Amino acid sequence: MDFRGFVISFLVFSYFAAGCYGVTLSSLQMTLKVTAFSPLGHDLKAGEDDLTLKWELDSKFPSGIDSSYKTVKLKLCYGRESQEGRPWRKTVDDLKKDKTCQHTIVQRPYSPTNNSFVWTVERDIALGKYFVRAYVYNDQQIVVAYGQNTGDAALLDLYHIIPITGRHASIDVASICFSVFSVVSLVGFFYMESRKTRTVLQK
Amino acid sequence: METKEQKFALPVDSEHKATEFRLFSVATPHMRAFHLSWISFFACFVSTFAAPPLIPIIRDNLDLTATDIGNAGIAAVSGAVFARVAMGTACDLFGPRLASSALILLTAPAVYLSAIINSPSGFLMVRFFTGFSLATFVSTQFWMSSMFSPNVVGTANGLSGGWGNLGGGATQLIMPLVYSLIHSQIGSSKFTAWRIAFFIPALFQTLSAFAIFFLGQDMPDGNYIRLENSGEKHKDEFSQVFYHAITNYRGWILALTYGYCFGVELTIDNIIAQYFFDRFHVNLHTAGIIAASFGLANLFSRPGGGMLSDLVAKRYGMRGRLWTLWVVQMIGGLLCLLLGKISSLTGSIAVMLVFSVFVQAACGLTFGVVPFVSRRSLGVISGMTGGGGNVGAVLTQVIFFRGSRYSTEEGITLMGVMIMCCSLAILFIYFPQWGGLFCGPKKGVTEEDYYLSEWTEAEKQQGFHKMSMKFSENSRRERGKKGVSAPVPVPSDYESTPANV
Repeated sequence: MDFRGFVISFLVFSYFAAGCYGVTLSSLQMTLKVTAFSPLGHDLKAGEDDLTLKWELDSKFPSGIDSSYKTVKLKLCYGRESQEGRPWRKTVDDLKKDKTCQHTIVQRPYSPTNNSFVWTVERDIALGKYFVRAYVYNDQQIVVAYGQNTGDAALLDLYHIIPITGRHASIDVASICFSVFSVVSLVGFFYMESRKTRTVLQK
Repeated sequence: METKEQKFALPVDSEHKATEFRLFSVATPHMRAFHLSWISFFACFVSTFAAPPLIPIIRDNLDLTATDIGNAGIAAVSGAVFARVAMGTACDLFGPRLASSALILLTAPAVYLSAIINSPSGFLMVRFFTGFSLATFVSTQFWMSSMFSPNVVGTANGLSGGWGNLGGGATQLIMPLVYSLIHSQIGSSKFTAWRIAFFIPALFQTLSAFAIFFLGQDMPDGNYIRLENSGEKHKDEFSQVFYHAITNYRGWILALTYGYCFGVELTIDNIIAQYFFDRFHVNLHTAGIIAASFGLANLFSRPGGGMLSDLVAKRYGMRGRLWTLWVVQMIGGLLCLLLGKISSLTGSIAVMLVFSVFVQAACGLTFGVVPFVSRRSLGVISGMTGGGGNVGAVLTQVIFFRGSRYSTEEGITLMGVMIMCCSLAILFIYFPQWGGLFCGPKKGVTEEDYYLSEWTEAEKQQGFHKMSMKFSENSRRERGKKGVSAPVPVPSDYESTPANV
């Protein structure tokens, strides 16, 4: 009984340990070919425009390499230019600490060919130059491979996303009205005070 | 012209300042002034530090870099440097009621307009102008020093200052909450929700200005305008008020040392969330809570400093106030040094909390001493000290927390060293009538000698110095128990030329 308990806890521990083990990007192979395409070119408007994504297993790798592949997650990642001066978007080799890819586009079960997805750029994407990376997970949710639509330097084939401002005419108007109201009421206060002074002086 | 016999809800001294502090009362004019001042100061702190908890959203909306964010943080605390001195002068000349309501209404537009900015420079401008509102600190302290007698002034100043500073911690919880309510309940996009969220602190600020104007009064006996016209209060000259403040070396020393307790507090408000986020890899939400707890300690730690100052003064007078200030601030510096050296998360949080108590108590203790530095130029001295606090914040952020010269933990340790070095200046404060840290009072010197030296013969002959006379009498408690036997002047001493101090 004791020995079985030990084995179970050892297996559970190693499952979690494996899950917690920091996988590094440099240890992975780029076995997926990812392509991105938009009829509008490389400038996309957030909340409006679509990006068509296709991914498939790169045929130059030996067959059987994808035996452990279970799911694919596509993420929107910052290009080098959009990372400069912004440490919260830093690229770190340890994927647990890496902040390059912060938006998940879609998650699908793995299949070697015939994968495509049309993504409408979400409203809350910030201004920047982005590329798309696909992470491949095995059945223990550990990253085992990846693919991306740009080279290692993340400089080519980047999509420039034009964000929404978040401003609305109603907010602009309200903001200006309240500001004017504050200043006008201050003038009102001074007027009231000087009237009081005149009353006191008259007494 | 005679003054009406006034009945006050609280016991008062000869200047009609309250000698007791009753927290849960809203009696006019003393306790009402207290509640109006801490609430409005709290509102200003909420507005000034409304941006930091929402930075992850704002930086994406405005495409900010780390430098933009750092510069805006420095701008937020630098505006108040001169605004605080100006506010001190305004209080001396126009009274705290008008001065503070005017400033709050003039800075409210900066908060409203935060909702329509579109660029890093816009962000910098709104944070800069919003930061001016932190000058209400001076009017708060001035108002409390006008309403409360020396024996409770430390408590009143500490509570109003501390509960105002609380806004810096509360905002780290309020703004994310308001933002997520707007984002999830009303369904606005992220980039719209944060903009709408800024209306909350802005409206709060506007309302508090109205409350001060309609419900407050400058002094126990009334507003400046009425008192000046009845001759009870002399309408003072700016140049004289300013001159007596800047020539009093004690004001400069306190400005320096306040830069290393309050200035440090502002710096920590700006950098601590990202310190925990980066060094210990907690998530942003957790980092925000830790940051909030630093500011929230103000609920009791700054008031505690003020109360401690009053308590120590009962027995040891001003010398006790100075000694306690120095010891508490030195310990704060030591804890800051330690904070940067600890590499465990729980250890860091524990040290940070103890550090927050000491550094905030030192702020409270400082304003237990400030009301006694000058009577004529109380406002400008308060403003200089307050402004010095912000200078300290700007200096420490520029030297230690900008660019990549020092890591954040190195910066924190070095800041601790700087706190200890600058606190040594307290050793040089000396009041001839009460003494300093190492020397006792000069024989034969009285409180009147000190406070009336701020008025010229001509001014005294016109009776402008009446308030200083009353204050001198009331501040005799600062001799402590031992000094009670020292000489007390006879009123006729001051009808003729006083001895030179």
